[in-house]
Parts: sequence; C-alpha cells; structure tokens
Amino acid sequence: ANMEGQKAKRSVHNLGKSQYGTRLESDMALYRPTVAPVLTSELGVASPNERAPADAYCIVVIVLGKQCFLVLRQQQFNVQALVAVGERASKQMVKFAANINKESIVDVEAVVKKVEQTIESCSQQDVELHIERIFVVSQAEPRLPLQLEDCVRPEGEGDEDGRATVNQDTRLDNRVIDLRTTTSQAIFRLQSGVCQLFRDTLTNKGFVEIQTPKIISAASEGGANVFTVSYFKTSAYLAQSPQLYKQMCICADFDKVFCVGPVFRAEDSNTHRHLTEFVGLDIELAFNYHYHEVIESITDTMVQIFKGLRDKFQTEIQTVGKQYPSEPFKFLEPTLRLEYSEGVAMLREAGVEMGDEEDLSTPNEKLLGRLVKEKYDTDFYVLDKYPLAVRPFYTMPDPNDKKYSNSYDMFMRGEEILSGAQRIHDAQLLTERAMHHNIDLEKIKSYIDSFRYGAPPHGGGGIGLERVCMLYLGLHNVRQTSMFPRDPKRLTP
Amino acid sequence: MPMYQVKPVFGDDIKTDLPTCMYKLPNIHAQRSASGCSEHALQNGTEVDPAFRDLEVRQDKIMRRLNELKAAVDGLAKTVTTPDADLDQTVTSLSQSPTATSFRGTADLDSLLGKDLGALRDIVINANPARPPLTLLVLHAMLCQRYRVLSSVHVHSSVSGVPAQLLSCLGPRHADSYVRQRFQLGFTLIWKDVSKLQMKFSIQNMCPIEGEANVARFLFRLVAPYPSDPALATLVDSWVDTAFFQLAEGSAKERSAVLRALNGALGRDPWLAGPELSLADIACYCCVLQTGPAASSPANVQRWLKACENLGHFGPANPLLQ
Repeated sequence: ANMEGQKAKRSVHNLGKSQYGTRLESDMALYRPTVAPVLTSELGVASPNERAPADAYCIVVIVLGKQCFLVLRQQQFNVQALVAVGERASKQMVKFAANINKESIVDVEAVVKKVEQTIESCSQQDVELHIERIFVVSQAEPRLPLQLEDCVRPEGEGDEDGRATVNQDTRLDNRVIDLRTTTSQAIFRLQSGVCQLFRDTLTNKGFVEIQTPKIISAASEGGANVFTVSYFKTSAYLAQSPQLYKQMCICADFDKVFCVGPVFRAEDSNTHRHLTEFVGLDIELAFNYHYHEVIESITDTMVQIFKGLRDKFQTEIQTVGKQYPSEPFKFLEPTLRLEYSEGVAMLREAGVEMGDEEDLSTPNEKLLGRLVKEKYDTDFYVLDKYPLAVRPFYTMPDPNDKKYSNSYDMFMRGEEILSGAQRIHDAQLLTERAMHHNIDLEKIKSYIDSFRYGAPPHGGGGIGLERVCMLYLGLHNVRQTSMFPRDPKRLTP
Repeated sequence: MPMYQVKPVFGDDIKTDLPTCMYKLPNIHAQRSASGCSEHALQNGTEVDPAFRDLEVRQDKIMRRLNELKAAVDGLAKTVTTPDADLDQTVTSLSQSPTATSFRGTADLDSLLGKDLGALRDIVINANPARPPLTLLVLHAMLCQRYRVLSSVHVHSSVSGVPAQLLSCLGPRHADSYVRQRFQLGFTLIWKDVSKLQMKFSIQNMCPIEGEANVARFLFRLVAPYPSDPALATLVDSWVDTAFFQLAEGSAKERSAVLRALNGALGRDPWLAGPELSLADIACYCCVLQTGPAASSPANVQRWLKACENLGHFGPANPLLQ
C-alpha cells in the first residue's frame, strides 16, 4: 500500500501522463479530461469509440489472470469495464484496479467497445469499457456493513406480519448504502414522479397549493395518537393532518386547495403499512351542487397520476419488478364507484357475516378488493356512503337516510389509501354532532368559529405518498417506499 | 324333554277379536250421490260456523287491498323518480288499475337473475374498442325501455385511449346516477384490451360468458323470452350463430353465401324467425351492416334492413357504423 501511495503521489505531478492512482483533492484543479464526461445510461452501441464516463461507483471487482473486470454504476445504470494488461495498461495498473474497494468512486477514461455476447447482469448490455486511465476519487472502507448484491436479490418471501425483519433493519440502519441499489433508485424516482404529477394535475385544475402549520394547539383528529412537544412554557402538538387548516382556507374563499407536507401520527402499531411520520398529499375543495363533484375531482387526479406513471415511468416500474415481482396496476377511467351497502352485499354473498352499519375490518377490505378485482378488473375504486356511526364528527350525514353519511374511502389493491367526506359547514350542526360524539367543545372552539362567518359546502380527502407508492408497485412494506422511515421503534437515520 | 317349565301366565281360553281391516276410509263414490256430505273440511257449507266463513271473506278482502296498496306505492315510487311525471294523473289511474306501468317489476329480474341481496345487479361487459359490440348496444337500448338501467362506460388501463363516440355509446348519463340503489339493473361497459368479448355478472355463481353471440343471448332473455316453440328457438339460435361466425368473421365467400341465404329466407317471411322481430334479426342486422353498406346487399335483405331501421331500436348502433 505504501508503495502504491508513493506512486500515486508521484503521479500527482505529471497527471497527464499517469494512468492510475488515487486522486486527491489538490489534484482536482489540475485535471481536465480530454473529452466531456458521459453518463453510464448513455453508453450503448451507438457511442463513438472514445469517451470518458463521469464519476461512477465501482461496484464489483473480479480478477481473472491478467485481466481485471469491474462494474461501474451510476444510479440505476451499470456497465462492465475491463483493465487488461497490454500496451495501454501495465501489470501494476491491473493490480491497482483489483485492489480498489467496492463502492469507491472512480474516474475513468475508457474506450467503448461492442461485445458479441449480451452482458445480462448490467443495464448497458451491448458494450463494455476498455479502461485506459482509472483514478479513485473517494475510497470506500474495505468492509461494508452490507453487500449491495444481497440487497438487490429478489426475496424468497415477503414479510407478511409487518414486523421489520432483520434484513430490513440492517438495510434501514445503513440506509445510505441501501438507497444506492437500482431498486431503491427506481422506487424513489417513481415517488418523486407521483408528487410531481399530483402537483401538476391539481395546478392545471385550478387548485392553489397551501402550506399549513404543523405545530398546533389542539389535537385535530381527537384521540391519543398525537405527539406532544414542549412549547416555551406550555406544550403543543404535532399536526395529525392538515384537515382543520384546509377547511379554514376554503372558508377563506380559496375554493380549491391542496397541500403536501408531513403528517405525524403517534400510533403504536407496528404493521406493514403504518409510519409515525409520513408525507400527506391533501385536497380540499368547495363544490357547487353535489359532493360527488369532490369525488370526481379526487379520482380524476388519481387516474391522471396512474396514467402518468404508466406512460412515463415504465423503466422504473420494470426495475422494481425485477426484485419485487408483482401484477401491473390496473384501473378504470372514470373510476368505479360502489356504494357501501353494495360492498356489504358482495361480502355477504361471499360468506362474510356483518351488520349494515359495521365498519369494514382490514381482512374484509382485502376480500372486497379481491371481489371487485374479480368482477371489474380494477385495483382502484371508491366506496361511497359509509355509515354515519363509524365516521368522525365533522362528516356530513346523508340527507336521504340518516344511517349513512356523505363520506367515502378509496382503495388500491384492497387497502385503504384515502378517507374523505363532505364536511359539515354549518356551525350549529357541527356543534350538535360534536356533542353527540362527546367531544369537548372548548378544544375545538376555533374550528367551529371558522364556519360562523359564511362557509361554502366543501369536501376533500388525503392520501399518504408512501402508501400510494407501495401499493402502486405492489410492494409489501411501507418502509421500502419511505426514505428514512419513522415508526415506534425507529428514530434514526 | 323340555328345558324348563313355566306356569301359564294367563288362561288360554280368552277369545281375541283379530282385525280383518287395516284402516278405514270414507267411501269416495258415495259423495256424488249424497248431498251435503262432508269431504272437504273447508267447504263444509251447513256444518261450519258462519263466523269462520266471514273471517275468510275478510281475509280475502284485506289481501286484495294490500296488493292494491303495494302496487300503488310502487307506481308512486317510479313516478317520483322519473322527471316530467304528471303525478295527479298517475295516482288516479293507479287506484283503478294497479298493473299499468311501463316498467317491468323487479320480480321478473328476481326470477331471471336470482334474488338480489342489496347490491346493484351489475352486468359487466369487457369489450375491445377495435371491435365494438353493436348487438349489445341495441339490446342495451331495449333493456332501458323495460327496466331502470344504470349504464356506465369505463376505459381500462390496458387501453390508452378510445374515440369519443365509444365513450358516449350508451347514451347520456342518467340524472339519478349518483344513487345506485334506485336502479334495477346495472350495465357497465369497459373498453379493455381483450381478445374475446367477455361478460361477468355474478362472480360467486357464474363463470364469465365469452363471445358476443352468447352475451347477446343472455341479454335478450332479460328483454323477452325465447320462443316457446323449440323449432323456432333453434332457428333463432342458428341465425345468431351464422351471423357471428360466418357473416362477421367469415371469408368473402362465406359472407356472400349467408347473404344469399338471408335473401331467400326474407323472401318468404318479413322477419327471420317467426312473426316478430327476434334476436336473430338484431344479430343479422348488425353483422350485415358491419361487413358492408346496405346498398350492396340483395333486394329482400335491403327491404328487411329498412324495416328494422323503422322500428327504431337500432339507433345506438348507427353512429358506430359510420
């Protein structure tokens, strides 16, 4: 190592002539490549014969006699590279290349050569690089806490009961390395696409994006699932949903609003689909004649997101599918809307016993999802007209039948992603319903006050970004779609 | 030598009268001659309490009144949901004749499709937009005349886009479509990338039905029963099959053969099977026009095509034929 170190130092002074070594910070100013760097993703049979890829991660080093094979990776793309003893490379250079630690960052100048046999294991399958110059920009430690090829291998079985397995814990503890896998890159690019499509679709429909406060004085949804923070001499809470503020914006004559921001739920459930902090995409809008306008607006937004993902993110979907194979996501346009009583009848036909006003349990939701998929071949649908008894106090009751309410849930692959409703916009009725639910009126005084000065009829709903991505891709744990997940047992990284 | 001896328990001189007859029935032949003899317990004229008879009469009256009320309530419910209904007129007419409604009752659907458990009876049809099922559109229009049908059109994610006329092929959206429970039947058409047209109705009890001919037969039975004469029913079926297999999907030779056969059959009768329009006529009309313009068919066929059009059922198919 020492000798090599010295060699590297010597090469600092005549960089133009050296072919390998470790590049130190002081060298950066002196080095100018002869040609522009090229992205690994662009390497193909059409590439001209001499190019220099930009800095890439070196992920695999295999030594075969006088040759050293490396695989260089940039985000989702990787390419095979070769250092062979010959007129361009010396034996010491091959030895140097063989000793580069995995996950080091290297800077390479190479010639792009066509190969006869397709290289199955790389994303760029028709070419390989014959390296002429190779420099290490940042050395990785020799012992990595986890091996990337283990991370990308398709799993034999998913984690059904939701508890983080040892595998997942190790991944999450070393998230920086785990996120480098092609699968993770694809998942989070797709997630970024969902956010983008959400914003674009709503902005085109005339919605205004708002930011709501997350430190609030009273628990918005009620119940004990709220985080308390110390706030100077008193305490405050972290918002469980932007519900109250979305509605206040509607009362403030914004007509159609949406917001993207964190949501904090102190639920002590360790399931495959719950996080304590997640990103909420919330919509609220005033309607003219019937709350179905709200349902149509939300479902149309979801359908545009699905279409955008289907049309523009196929590469990412296929990449994820290599490690986590699943059925492609299917949907109907316009979205299928069933009524709650229909759902109950379908479940009863399938042998489930349940009351008319009983809430759907998670297994029943999944069964109903399967029945709907069987009949209509869609993974996404809306269940409308839930019974009033199982909805929060601010839900508007159904004018035609007081057992039911103007509320709805939306499901993807049989799991709930959105719970929404028409909200009560009359202060009097709201007070009655709150008293009926035994809620302390003092705590929600400012909420009720916002409807006393003219409020339009409105409704809305919110989805969780991580859950939507997980269900769209057919993954089984929401921690896979959350970059640095938070759950009752995890606070770092 | 006997094994043991027991003293007799009772004397052996008791005479028993063994029966010679298993059971007795009154003589049925004696009734006709005798008047007022009792056979039917209920119709016992002179011997039964007159109060009992009064009770029966009262019960009959109550049942009749109940039926009338039920029919009146049904009629009212229907008039309230249809716009432009003249309430006064219908109520007075209903009190006189409770059976004059243009919609068939749900009782018919119950017997044809099985009792509904609260879920809308939704017929789901998956069709390929490259081959729109014209027969089914015509049958849909006929269904709408007989029942309250909630129709909807969806585009499945396997298809990227369909022309506007395919989206509106089931007609404008019903004003009541936001309450699914008010409808007797659902008709959901999904444009999907399928190789064969498919219909799903009850996923617990029925497997999917494939092929436009079979789905047409299913839907037609909801509109009108098949002819009871088996020969006629077979004729209808045979024309339906000919239409879908030889006319729509056959070679040019097969098609012209079918047109000649049609010409011959229509020379003798105005309709293909029997004295009235039947499924055979609907299927053949759609398939004939799908393969070529009306003017290119033989004379009888052209006359018959005109007659079909005049009936007005084939409106929905026309925009898709252009």
